[in-house]
Amino acid sequence: MSVAQLAGGRVPRLARRASARDPLVIAAALVMLLIAVIAVFGPLMAPYDPNQLYVGPVLSPPSLEHYMGTDDLGRDIYSRVLVGAAPSVIAPVFVVILSTALGAAIGISSAWFGGVVDGISSRVIEVIFAIPGLVLAVLAVSMFGKGLIAPIAALSIAYIPIVSRLVRTAARAELGKPYIAALRIQGVSSLAICFRHLVPAVLPPILAQSTVGFGYAMLDLAAISFLGLGAQPPSSDWGVMISAGQPALLTGAPEQSMFPAALVVVTVLAVNILGARVTTWAEGGDR
Amino acid sequence: MNTRVLRQLLGKLGGLLLTLFLASVLIFSAMLLTPGDPVFTIAGSVRPTPEMIAAIQEQYHLDQPVWVQYLSWIGGVFSGDLGTSFVYKTPVAELIAPRIGITALLVLYTLVLIVVFGLGSGILAATRGRAVDRTVLVTTSFGMALPTFVVAILLIWIFGRVLGWFPVYGAGSGLLDNLYHLTLPAISLAVLYIAYISRITRGAIVGQQHAEHVETALVRGIPRSRIFRRHVFLNASPQILSVSGATVAGLFAVSAIAEQAFGIGGLGSLLTEAAARKDVPVVQVISLLLVTVFVVLNAVVDVVIAVIDPDSTKPRSLA
Amino acid sequence: MSDFVLELDHVSIAAPGADGPLMLVEDCTLQVTAGESLGLVGESGSGKTLSARAVAGLLPEEFTVGGTIRIDGEDISTVAGKRLRGIRARRLGMVFQTPRAHLNPLRSIGDFMTEALVTVAGEKPDAAERRAIELLAEVGIPDPDRRMRQRPGDLSGGLLQRVMIAATLAMDPPILLADEITTALDVTTQEEVMAVIADLRRHRDLAMLFITHDLALAGAVCDRIAVMQHGRTVETLRAATMRQDAVEPYTRRLLSATLPADVRADSTPPVEPVLVVDGLRKTFQVRSPRGGREEFVAVDGVGFMLAPGGSLGIVGESGSGKSTTARIICGLEAADAGSVTVKGEDWTTAARGTAGRRRRARIAQMVFQDPYQSLDRRQTVRACLREAVAVHRPKASRGELDARVDELLGAVRLDAGLADRKPRSLSGGQRQRVAIARALAADPEILVLDEAVSALDVTTQVEILTLLDSIRRTMGVALLMISHDLTVVRRLCDHVVVMRSGVIVEQGTIADVLDDPRADYTRMLLDSIPHDGWVPRRRIPARTTALPTVATTTTRISPPGGPK
Repeated sequence: MSVAQLAGGRVPRLARRASARDPLVIAAALVMLLIAVIAVFGPLMAPYDPNQLYVGPVLSPPSLEHYMGTDDLGRDIYSRVLVGAAPSVIAPVFVVILSTALGAAIGISSAWFGGVVDGISSRVIEVIFAIPGLVLAVLAVSMFGKGLIAPIAALSIAYIPIVSRLVRTAARAELGKPYIAALRIQGVSSLAICFRHLVPAVLPPILAQSTVGFGYAMLDLAAISFLGLGAQPPSSDWGVMISAGQPALLTGAPEQSMFPAALVVVTVLAVNILGARVTTWAEGGDR
Repeated sequence: MNTRVLRQLLGKLGGLLLTLFLASVLIFSAMLLTPGDPVFTIAGSVRPTPEMIAAIQEQYHLDQPVWVQYLSWIGGVFSGDLGTSFVYKTPVAELIAPRIGITALLVLYTLVLIVVFGLGSGILAATRGRAVDRTVLVTTSFGMALPTFVVAILLIWIFGRVLGWFPVYGAGSGLLDNLYHLTLPAISLAVLYIAYISRITRGAIVGQQHAEHVETALVRGIPRSRIFRRHVFLNASPQILSVSGATVAGLFAVSAIAEQAFGIGGLGSLLTEAAARKDVPVVQVISLLLVTVFVVLNAVVDVVIAVIDPDSTKPRSLA
Repeated sequence: MSDFVLELDHVSIAAPGADGPLMLVEDCTLQVTAGESLGLVGESGSGKTLSARAVAGLLPEEFTVGGTIRIDGEDISTVAGKRLRGIRARRLGMVFQTPRAHLNPLRSIGDFMTEALVTVAGEKPDAAERRAIELLAEVGIPDPDRRMRQRPGDLSGGLLQRVMIAATLAMDPPILLADEITTALDVTTQEEVMAVIADLRRHRDLAMLFITHDLALAGAVCDRIAVMQHGRTVETLRAATMRQDAVEPYTRRLLSATLPADVRADSTPPVEPVLVVDGLRKTFQVRSPRGGREEFVAVDGVGFMLAPGGSLGIVGESGSGKSTTARIICGLEAADAGSVTVKGEDWTTAARGTAGRRRRARIAQMVFQDPYQSLDRRQTVRACLREAVAVHRPKASRGELDARVDELLGAVRLDAGLADRKPRSLSGGQRQRVAIARALAADPEILVLDEAVSALDVTTQVEILTLLDSIRRTMGVALLMISHDLTVVRRLCDHVVVMRSGVIVEQGTIADVLDDPRADYTRMLLDSIPHDGWVPRRRIPARTTALPTVATTTTRISPPGGPK
């Protein structure tokens, strides 16, 4: 039995292990804010032209002129990282927005209408789910060519099942509650029931999933760029940079790969911490 | 297993076959949706003459109606004729055959790592007290932010440049040499999944530890170790299995990244290359292969879960 | 060495709270002598279950237990871990409220029964199996060897409870801790289980700590009674003379709630009924245990009438079809055959579209069983009521709506200050009042109450029933009360319909049916209700398999434009 169950019907405020003022969560939020700022203002913040060749010696280590050193073509890594934030961070946002919007719509319709609608959409979802996201992305690239557009579209579709299943479960649970039946007997319109009651109820898990999904999308897109199928040179998308810097690793100049890699890791870490917090908040609802 | 469970499983199997069929249709239609005429991709850099066009169309069945093309494609898959590569002009089957082994070995190696470390750390986190739990929590938090390509370059740098304990390129020859070469790639693939499975395992076990039927066993004085094995872990295993099954099934696709980073000539690197060169038949066949593996693996997991918990196939409510 | 088998001496239990420790139990003091049965009675939040769990060692680590607990005279706080586990395993038998949750669904009954025998008592597996079968037979389970191979999912709740009791007997403990063991069972199943316990106690000289909220039940089956309120033992009485001996006001309140209410005289003159149900039939498609589908007849040929301003109770146990009938009347389910006529209008098919539903809303409303899930937990009370009112007064201004909301709050005797709270800060009784207010917002002529008080404490039940009665008298609303509890129906209704397995077994005025029942089933129901001097009689279990889950509250929402 849970502690809450034992303490009686009304849940008293028992000791909370993670309060909203958790320093880790605040740090994560600040990091995300910083990353967002860089994504938007990167080009303005860069001291050098990211595509300008030979602004410094080739593969030089970090120094006062080049905070992160230079790459195999003499370009300033720091500037490239700043400018690369935009494609690396904004592309996943598209994936999340598209997949969440479509997934939520499908999930809610499935739960709402049931019957044939549910049957067909469940089958479609199952088929999409059977194709791993990476495979779908690769398939898309083989059809439409390299670049970020095809992978974004493919991943948006690939992520739909996760969202729609989650939303469907949450919506069905909510629709099963007696207050929905009560609203219906009261004569409240179906639209009002859906938008005034059902949607706010499923919003928390949707938000939690979006946060976590952003992290996955970022990793997947960077991986696709790493493979050479996503963003293309001379773009300084972080995945591209990591891949391009691989030969330099063995000659003792890891900066070209390591700095963008570190940024990917830090961003995803921050997203995961925030995601965990949002998930706990979302689950804290009932009772 | 009684008849009800068997019927449920057969139903599920039917559903899976349907899914597989629909997925194959989707994959096949990739060819049709590709902008531009495949004839030109096949012709390559040469400007095709009308005779060449006709020849290409006949060879690749491009002049047939759509559903005939699909049927000949699918029929070919079953009979071993997997089509011909647009780029290499050789049968796809020949391109794939030598590579399957190495990819399978890589995936298996990774799987072992995931099970040992992921499951293991999850169990430890759930059963060895707060300190261990926190440590595992922090470690897995990092792990979940370390994708394959990041771990790959880290390992390449450490072992290629600094330490040299493991090779950082190629797959080697001979089983032991293969394993030696595949160690770093397997690790790079495994890290993220270890973290994920560890969390799931811990969560499932902790969830069962508080279950009421565990309380009953405690009151009756049954030894803790037995309670863990027969009540906590057993009841947590369906949940762990189903999540693990889905995640691991995707492993085959993700192996492409490790293959790229470490220069391994497996299915994944072929897939990447083919996609880059718009070699649709190759991409289609490999995609179909990966999807089949995914579906089959999930089916196996479903069967195992049904054996452990036959009631999981019972619907919980109706109407 | 005292001859107390169990003793709790000023036991307190505290949980870690956000602002310091939360005292969940302040002072629980009781003693149980060998062979004696002590009833521990209280409402929710009284601390009775927590105290029992403290004895069994089932409290979370974070909880701190003060005071002294003695098992067989030994202070358990002085006993080391392993030995304490041994003491608990051999001296205590504990049975819980929901046997289905307390049994591992993946293991067979036989596994469960023999596990303790083999691992704790060190018996050989075949000896353990034989002993297990003996124990199952002792608690009256038919066909025990077949049961050994079945899983919990194949057995009914009543049977599972017997299995749990049998399992505790394996160690021959001197005392049984019974935590609300019959609360989740039908009243007839309750009698069966209590009869089994009575036999066991006689044969084995078994002491029992019987925890329950039902004072009447405790009074009938226990030797002494300890009453707890807000974490304190308030009074201890001899059961046989509890009505005379009770001194504390709380005890007296509990006692008066258990008294059967005076049977109401039928005061309404014969008039055109507001609701007529005739030949109602409903079947569900259920997955049969063997796979494939079978038909489950939930309601079969049900017919009755409700007079305007009258009150009709529909009584039945689980699976009787009473809830399904109510849901059909309110349009949440569609009948397969038969008719529902409300004020002369045919309501057999569900209302068409929102306008149709709105019209019907002004005639019939429903109050549900679960007070928490009956309200949108995101809405404040005021917002909830305002929405209900606004449906029927689309052009009203905010001020007019709020005025009506205040009116409704007054009608259900809810303090207006609570209006800006959300359901989570309200008690069960308060939430139910809000649900009633919401139902009254449409000014209905019929109020359907689907087990509306079943989830409430006994004292709160009385309050709500009194409220409903006064609403009926002042507003002239007809009440249709669905309940498994005859005492509730007796308090509120002047007519009653008794249902069993989808059929009406008997109907008539309350006086006729309760004082002079014609059907055997009604007689059996009445006999199963614990009252002064009640002795449970042992019977063969009426139902051995679990019921198919039929009546869920999943609502098939009609998309705008009409039902499917």
